[in-house]
Amino acid sequence: MIECLRETDVFEAIAFGRWPAAADADLRAHVARCPVCLDLVAVAVPLQCDRQALVRAAQPPTAAVVWWRAAIRARAEATRTAMQPIAVWRRVVAVCIAGAAAALVPDVWQWGRGIDALASFGVQHAAFILVALVAGLVLAPLAVYFALADD
Amino acid sequence: MRDVTVTELEQLAAGIAEAEATFQMDEEAFGCFYERTARPVWAYLARMTGDPRLADDLLQEAYYRFLRARPALDDEAHRRNYLFRIATNLVHDIRRRPQVDETAMPVRGPAETIDGQGGDMAAETVRRIDTARGLAQLKPRERELLWLAYAQGSSHHEIAETLGVKASSVKMLLFRARRRLAAVLRAAER
Repeated sequence: MIECLRETDVFEAIAFGRWPAAADADLRAHVARCPVCLDLVAVAVPLQCDRQALVRAAQPPTAAVVWWRAAIRARAEATRTAMQPIAVWRRVVAVCIAGAAAALVPDVWQWGRGIDALASFGVQHAAFILVALVAGLVLAPLAVYFALADD
Repeated sequence: MRDVTVTELEQLAAGIAEAEATFQMDEEAFGCFYERTARPVWAYLARMTGDPRLADDLLQEAYYRFLRARPALDDEAHRRNYLFRIATNLVHDIRRRPQVDETAMPVRGPAETIDGQGGDMAAETVRRIDTARGLAQLKPRERELLWLAYAQGSSHHEIAETLGVKASSVKMLLFRARRRLAAVLRAAER
């Protein structure tokens, strides 16, 4: 026998705090001779007791705190998801730059051989090169700003 | 590396707004639901893991997953079952990590009696420790079945929904688990 017709009555008596003192004498007599209900009492009474103590001891955060944390986390996850294409694009750009740099290495090597000639040119036109560098450093950010600005 | 453009930032903002809209209920409805369910869910998590601090973390995680999920839930009972199902899955995930001591926790703070009227606290504490140890000797699935049935008072159908087992097999599984725990508790009493 795995079930008893009076199981529900016994469990209700336990769950509503009537067991054993306030339970029907008839029900108590049944439990005393029914192995299924005896097991039920042996298990349900301590579990109910344990649950009630745990529920009383519980100190969950407020609903507002849980909601706030969930919203923050959802936002962070959304940001991460939205940033994924950008991160992929950045990786593509980095690979392209690395590829271009690798392709230029032989040319740079050749160019290095003519560095002596370039050095003499630099000494002769140092003032002109300096002015060009300063102009580039000042004008390049301005050019980028005006190119990207909406208005 | 290039900078993020204005268009990309707009797309980002749209994605974030979309993410916030994915919660399955508004804050007020969530508040009501949380007030009714947080303590029972915490008690379930605490007893299934044996660790109140872990239960605190899992509680937050359970509600986050609940909010992000978008199942078709008609009523409060289904929502509650779904929440317990999430909690059960979280406990299973934790159990796959090796460090959980499921016998560790009798209660946070002093033990209380079932009727809340005081009484023999020492005996009550011993009883609760016996219960925790008895539960720890069972299989995880048996613990979950017994807790849901006799601590939470869930029906067989609700247990099946929460644990993802066939409703027809709940009765037999519950019978076996109950018999095992009863034997363990009687042995502890002697």
